[in-house]
Amino acid sequence: MLEKGRISSFQLSVLLVGFVLGSSIIITPGGDAGHDAWIAIALGLMEGSLIALIFTALVLRFKDKTIIEINDLVFGKVIGKLISVLFLWYFLHLGALVLNDYVHFFRLELYPATPRTVMLLIIMLVCASTVNRGIEALARCSLILVPLTISVIFLVTMFLIPHFNLNNLMPILDLPIGKLLWSAHSVASFPFAESVVFVMILAFLNKSEKGGRAVSKALIIAGLVLIIASIRNSAVLGPMVAAYNYPSYQAVQVIDIRDIFTRLEILVAINFITMGFLKISVLLYGTVLGLAQVLNLQSYRPIILPVGILMVILALTNVANTIELFDFTHKIYPIYAVPFQIIIPLITLIIAKLRQLPKTDGGMP
Amino acid sequence: MKNRQQGKISLVILLSIISVFIVGCWDSRELSTLSLIAGLGFDLDPATKRATLTYQSIVPSQVKPSPSMGGGEGKQTGSGGLQSIQLDHDTGLSPYEVLNRYTQHGSRIPFYQHTQVIVIGKAAAEHGLYPFLDTVIRNPAGRPNILLAISDNKASDILAVEDGMENIQAVGMANIIKLSARFSKYPAVTCLDFTSRFIGKTTAPVAPIMGVFEETGPEGKRQKKIRINGTAVFKGDKMIGKLNEQESSGLLWVINQIEKGFVIIPEASLEIIGSKTKIIPELTGGKIKITVEIEEEANLIQYNNARNITPDLIHQLEKAQAREIESQVKAVIKKSMALNADIFDFGGAVHRKYKKEWKKMEPRWDDIYPTIEVSVKVKTRLDEIGDINKAIMTE
Repeated sequence: MLEKGRISSFQLSVLLVGFVLGSSIIITPGGDAGHDAWIAIALGLMEGSLIALIFTALVLRFKDKTIIEINDLVFGKVIGKLISVLFLWYFLHLGALVLNDYVHFFRLELYPATPRTVMLLIIMLVCASTVNRGIEALARCSLILVPLTISVIFLVTMFLIPHFNLNNLMPILDLPIGKLLWSAHSVASFPFAESVVFVMILAFLNKSEKGGRAVSKALIIAGLVLIIASIRNSAVLGPMVAAYNYPSYQAVQVIDIRDIFTRLEILVAINFITMGFLKISVLLYGTVLGLAQVLNLQSYRPIILPVGILMVILALTNVANTIELFDFTHKIYPIYAVPFQIIIPLITLIIAKLRQLPKTDGGMP
Repeated sequence: MKNRQQGKISLVILLSIISVFIVGCWDSRELSTLSLIAGLGFDLDPATKRATLTYQSIVPSQVKPSPSMGGGEGKQTGSGGLQSIQLDHDTGLSPYEVLNRYTQHGSRIPFYQHTQVIVIGKAAAEHGLYPFLDTVIRNPAGRPNILLAISDNKASDILAVEDGMENIQAVGMANIIKLSARFSKYPAVTCLDFTSRFIGKTTAPVAPIMGVFEETGPEGKRQKKIRINGTAVFKGDKMIGKLNEQESSGLLWVINQIEKGFVIIPEASLEIIGSKTKIIPELTGGKIKITVEIEEEANLIQYNNARNITPDLIHQLEKAQAREIESQVKAVIKKSMALNADIFDFGGAVHRKYKKEWKKMEPRWDDIYPTIEVSVKVKTRLDEIGDINKAIMTE
C-alpha cells in the first residue's frame, strides 16, 4: 500500500467541496447561459451527481483499491495499465488547466509583471509539499480552508444585497432549450464531474460504506454555493455578467458600504488561491499516486516534484492566451472530458459486474 | 539531535529561498512613484478626431485633513497657494495613445484605482464613446463603480474648477452627483450602469450633465462653480439629447430611483418619504400598452396659506401632488418618445413579461417604441403634517 493515511467521510466531503469550488469560484460555470446560469448549474449538478454515482459505485465496490488497481483487476495487466495511463493523462492535463486559470487570472488582475513560470513554480511548490505529506494532511488543509472560503462567499453576498436587482434574473429560461442543455452539460463536466479524480482517494476512506453519501452531499453543497454566487453575479451585474471574464471579481468590486467596506475583491482572489491550491493538490496527488502504482514503485514521494514540474511545463505550453483557454473550456472540454468522466468508469463498472469482481474471499491480493 | 540540526538547516534554506521570492516582487508599487488619478476627463475634437485626456491627480503631500476633522484651513485657493490636485492633459488619436503620451512628461505612473469620476466632453459624447468606454471597462484598473458625468462644454473646463468643500475636487464632484441622486434630482450613473444599458441594445444609456457657471461671491469676487444641469440621453454610444430638471426627476420616478427629495406644488412643499414604481406592460393585438404605477408617500413640510390643515385639505394636497408627479413623468415620456430613446427600459419590462414575442420585437424596437401608449397612475399619501397642527397666523 503506497498511502497509509486514512480519511473520514466528513473530511472527504469537505475536500470534495473545495475541489469542486476550485477554479469555478472565479470562472463561474455556465457563463454562456447569461442570467440563466443558475439553472444551468442546477441541471449540471444533477448530471454531475449521476456521473459521480458511476465512479463511486465502481470504486466502493472494490473497497480499498484505487482505480489503477481496479483497472488491473478488471481488464488484466496490459489493457488495465493502458487505461490507467489515460486517466493519468487526464489528471495531469486537468491540473495544467487549473494552473492556467490560476496564472491567467492573477497576471491579469493582480500581478501583471510577475513571470508566469515563477508564479506557477511557487504554487506548485506549495502543492508538492502538501502532497508529500499525504492524503491526511491534504484533507486537514481543506477542513480549514473550505469553511473559510464559504463564509467569505456568504459575507460578500450579504454586502452585495443592496445592489441586487432581481429584474436582472428575469425572464427565467430565456435561452433556447438546446443551448441551455449544452450549458448544463458543460457545467457538469466542469466542475462537478471533474471529481472523477476522487477514484484515487475514495479508497482511503476509513468507512467505505459512507463514501457514496459523502460524495453526493459534497456535490450538493458545492452546487448550492455556486448557484448562490451565480445568482448574485447576475443580480448585481445584469447583462454585463456575460461580458466579464471574471464576474465574481467584478461584482465584489461594486461593494461600497458607507466608504468603509470597499475594494473587497481581494477576498475573491484569496478564495481562488486557497481553493485552486486544493484542486491542484488533489490532481497532483492523483497523478503521482497513480503513476507510482502503474510503475509499481515503493513510494510515490520521489516523483512528486518531477510530475509537478511536468504539470507546470504543460500549463506553460498548452494554451497561448486567455481566449484560447476559455474557448477550450467552453467548446472542447465538455466533449473531451466525456470518456474520462463517464465512458471509461461506466465500462469498467459493467465489466466488473459481468465478471462478478471483486471475488469475495478469493485468492485475490 | 542530528534530526533537529537538519531541521534548522533546512529552515534556513527555506527562509532564504522564500525571501528571494517575496522581496523581489515584480509588481511592487510605491506610493511615491504613483500619480493617483482622482478625476479623468475625455474630450474629442470633432474636426481632427483627436482625443484629449485631462488628468486630475492627487498630490499626496498637499492633501490636508478637511476643516471639520479638526483645524486646518481647508483647501488653499489662489495662485500662490499649494494645491492638493494637479491638472495635466495630453492629446492623441485614441485614448491609449494619449495615455501613452503621458509618459513623456509625467514623473509618476498614473494609477486609476482611486478614480472617482470620469467626465466626458459634450463633443466626445456626441461623436461616440465606444473606444473610450472600451478602454475604461477592459482595463483591469478601471472599477465598475466609477461615476460618469457629461460636461456641457469641455471636460477639461470642469476638472479645472476649484470649488466645493473637498480638498480633492473630483471627490467633491462625485459627492455632488451622489447627493443629487439621493435627493432625486438627477441619476447617478456608474460605468457598470452605463455599460449594462449599452449592452442591452434597446435600452438607452443616460448620464448627468455638469456645467460650469460663474457668479459673484459674497466677497464680490467672481468665482466659478460646477453644478448638474441636466441628463444626457444616449442612443448607442452617441449622445442625442438632454433632459431638463423636470424631465430628469420624471425619469427617476419611472425607473424607481426616488429616494428622498421634495415635491413642490403651488400651495405647499412636500418631502418624499418613500416611493415605489411598477412598470406593467400589456400586449394586446400586437400593440403595446404600458402602465406606470407610482405609489408615493410624503410629509408636509411647508404650507403657504394661513389655514388650519383639515383632512379635506390633506386630500386636496395629495391630489395636487399626484398631478405634479404625473406632469413630470408625462414630460419625460414625451421627450423620450420624441428622441426615440428607451431610457426607461420599457423594452426590458416587455422582455420579462413576453419573452417569446420579444424575439420578434427586439430588432424593430426603434419602430415600436414611439407608438407605445403609456398611461401613468400616481397614488400619493400624505402622512405627517409637521410639528404644528394650527396655522400660527389667521387670515
